[in-house]
Amino acid sequence: MSSSAEEIEKVIGQKYKEGFVTEIEVETFEPGLNEDIIARLSAIKGEPEFMLQYRLQAFRHWQTLEEPDWAQLNIDPIDYQAISYYSAPKKDSEKPQSLDEVDPELLDTYKKLGIPLDEQERLAGVAVDAVFDSVSVATTFKGKLKDAGVIFCPISEALQEYPELVKQYLGTVVSEKDNFFASLNAAVFTDGSFVYIPKGVRCPMELSTYFRINAANTGQFERTLIIADDDSHVSYLEGCTAPMRDENQLHAAVVELVAMNNAEIKYSTVQNWYPGDENGVGGIYNFVTKRAECRGDNSKVSWTQVETGSAITWKYPSCVLLGDNSVGEFYSVAVTNNYQQADTGTKMIHIGKNTSSTIISKGISAGKSQNTYRGLVKVAKSAENARNYTQCDSLLVGDTCGAHTFPYVEVKQPSAQVEHEATTSKISEDQLFFCQQRGISAEDAVSMIVNGFCKSVFKELPMEFAVEAQALLGLSLEGSVG
Amino acid sequence: MTTQYSEAYAKLENSLAGSSLSWLSELRTQAKEQFLERGFPRLSDEEWRYSNVSVLDKKAFSPVSDSELGHIDIADLDSYKLADCWTLVLVDGHYSASLSDLDGIADAVIVSSMVDALKNHPEKVKSYLGQAVDLKEAGFKAFNQAWFSDGVFVSVAANTVLDKPLQVLHVVTSAEVLANTHHVIALGTGAEATVIETFIGCAERYATVSVTEVFVEKNAGLSLYKTQLESDKAVHLGGVYVKQARDSRFKHTNFAFGSLLARTDVHTDLSQASECDLNGLYLGVKRQHIDNHTRITHVEPYAISKELYKGVLNDKARGVFQGRVIVAEQAQKTDSDMHNHNLLLSDNAEADTKPQLEIYADDVKCAHGITVGQLDDKSIFALQSRGIDEETARNMLTFAFANEMVNKIKFKPLHEQILTQVLERFPQAGIDKAWL
Repeated sequence: MSSSAEEIEKVIGQKYKEGFVTEIEVETFEPGLNEDIIARLSAIKGEPEFMLQYRLQAFRHWQTLEEPDWAQLNIDPIDYQAISYYSAPKKDSEKPQSLDEVDPELLDTYKKLGIPLDEQERLAGVAVDAVFDSVSVATTFKGKLKDAGVIFCPISEALQEYPELVKQYLGTVVSEKDNFFASLNAAVFTDGSFVYIPKGVRCPMELSTYFRINAANTGQFERTLIIADDDSHVSYLEGCTAPMRDENQLHAAVVELVAMNNAEIKYSTVQNWYPGDENGVGGIYNFVTKRAECRGDNSKVSWTQVETGSAITWKYPSCVLLGDNSVGEFYSVAVTNNYQQADTGTKMIHIGKNTSSTIISKGISAGKSQNTYRGLVKVAKSAENARNYTQCDSLLVGDTCGAHTFPYVEVKQPSAQVEHEATTSKISEDQLFFCQQRGISAEDAVSMIVNGFCKSVFKELPMEFAVEAQALLGLSLEGSVG
Repeated sequence: MTTQYSEAYAKLENSLAGSSLSWLSELRTQAKEQFLERGFPRLSDEEWRYSNVSVLDKKAFSPVSDSELGHIDIADLDSYKLADCWTLVLVDGHYSASLSDLDGIADAVIVSSMVDALKNHPEKVKSYLGQAVDLKEAGFKAFNQAWFSDGVFVSVAANTVLDKPLQVLHVVTSAEVLANTHHVIALGTGAEATVIETFIGCAERYATVSVTEVFVEKNAGLSLYKTQLESDKAVHLGGVYVKQARDSRFKHTNFAFGSLLARTDVHTDLSQASECDLNGLYLGVKRQHIDNHTRITHVEPYAISKELYKGVLNDKARGVFQGRVIVAEQAQKTDSDMHNHNLLLSDNAEADTKPQLEIYADDVKCAHGITVGQLDDKSIFALQSRGIDEETARNMLTFAFANEMVNKIKFKPLHEQILTQVLERFPQAGIDKAWL
């Protein structure tokens, strides 16, 4: 191959930039999972009784389940008894009320991550509810949100302050019996975000959460619940990172979205968990169940994800389109390198009339990685005039990686129109040459072409994230195509 | 419930093809063990998730020996025989010499029943039989290999062209019969042949299991047509498993019109610079369930695969398309293109489609596209505005959708037969065959 092959090696070999460990005291449960652990967890969080019952029910069901093995993934067996299910910064008892009270070392961590936590007011108005390991550390912009009537808080807080609201919606989109990882999450989730947008309110700013797994041997089990009541609108951003460690860490999250009549939820994720080193040692196992229900007529849910991290990604953000004229969208860029494995995609379940969905998925695989798109478009008999358009493109970088496309289409309604297209290719020498011939360096040319390849997804991201996503993409792949 | 078949076949053991050959008995025993362990595929097997074949367990279909074959009305059979063809007829899974017409085939070509081939050319058959199928996969291959009664053996010597197409006519004569046949088609270097498999039967419920192993040597070319016109109560399980040597060409055209429950597997492994072209048309009416499963494995570089399947589904019919393209690490410069289009004509029809790309090489061009939908209102309007009534317009557009596949048939008598079948199975008011 051309000289760019060496450059590829160089760039692919780039170190994970977020891989620092914050040395702060943590209170951690001993490894293991049983009903006592769950009861202790629930007690520490001061949860209402129904939550404990919910967790135990989920745990009992989880014990009857087997790990799913249908994905195009090679996973070393996970020992669920060797994981600690709770890890919180020590000063939990006196939870910080404002940023000044937060452990300075923690704030330092966020600075390294580049989260504008203490510059919020000056920046574009992103309220961050940062989840550090499992407990929410600080929530900003609460006042402004409160004026608008928006509830945005850690789910543990919501369980204490709005138990009825949480009870009404928790587990109604992803039941505690949904799948192996969702059951596990329901049993042991430690924290997460809760958002409620009341009727007719357009959330005044974009809401944001940052997740980070810090302690070794801990799993991160967060749970997010977002409810957009009639005629409301919210845009929610989520980012994730984890430090470098040799062991694999488990992350099993559940995200539930509910959109009522005319409501719109936009959910954006930039996932940059530690992917393991160049030999495939370490890295996060990311098993996530994300699902949205468009319960109301004319509602809309849009998922946008940029997946660059994790040793293993198992994630299918889905939309159940119940309401008439409801809309589901899924925009995804998944980048895998070294020994990363990603099996990700979406499900669009059309039930209401005139529902429509769009799926745009861009997979980029490099190194020895495997990148799979797996999606389902299901049109029920009741979904008259349903419409789906799916496009899955894969870009291969290097000759030892794999790119796979497994779409499922099931249609029971003749007036439905479903289209699916997929292509797989590599950046051609011609394209590179064309750019180089005009004085653009090989590296810049590749970056341009890859960014162009992902443009239709990046344009869906909110401004702050789009910048980060492009930087991440550059970090993982710059110059590595040829 | 799998034991019912091992009991039924235990009684017939001596009438199965090649029962005196020890190597074949060994193959059969292996397969039997595999089948008794796994049974028929279940919905939980990923490649069978849309087709429930439990009817084979619930109802006991009976295999018959060659001495108890049912009666055939010759005139009826003649209407399915194609002109300008060599013909080989299998009745209830057994070769019928009296109904076949193989006189005058060139010496360089062997066309015979599997029973005769195992008698006259056992070594030749041994080098092929069971080589293209993987019994470990979920399916009916183990069942077939354990108990096939007869079949067809075709061997075309190097640089020889079979002058006329060979039609293999499968007939089932009576209710509850199970016809289980195994075929080998082997083309030597540079050989050419056209084979047409036609499946017909009485108007009752019966079952057909048919496995065809195909070996296409260097630079050889095989064109294989399958015309599945089983009765609308029948169960049909068919499989074609192909090994293609370098520079070889394989073209398969699958017309799946009959059966209550039909499934066809077409799997091919491509060597360097070989080509495969898989086409299919499935027409479903009433409660028919038609499943088409294809798998193309690009093992070596420079191979080309093309695939186009079209389905028209009416009433409560369900059409399934599963297409898998696997590009191995070494298979650089692969060019692969797969398309599946479905037309739903009724509120109760269903289409399930699952095109899959699994790619382990980087310098490849792979694409797939699928659509599911109904007739385009604008096209109907365009025809109406030219004075054609709506019903005729719909019929014309439906026919045109299917006719793309029919027009791919180069062999005139077959083209005529398929065209007639398409027009019989779908509303044709307003369409005059003379125009076509």
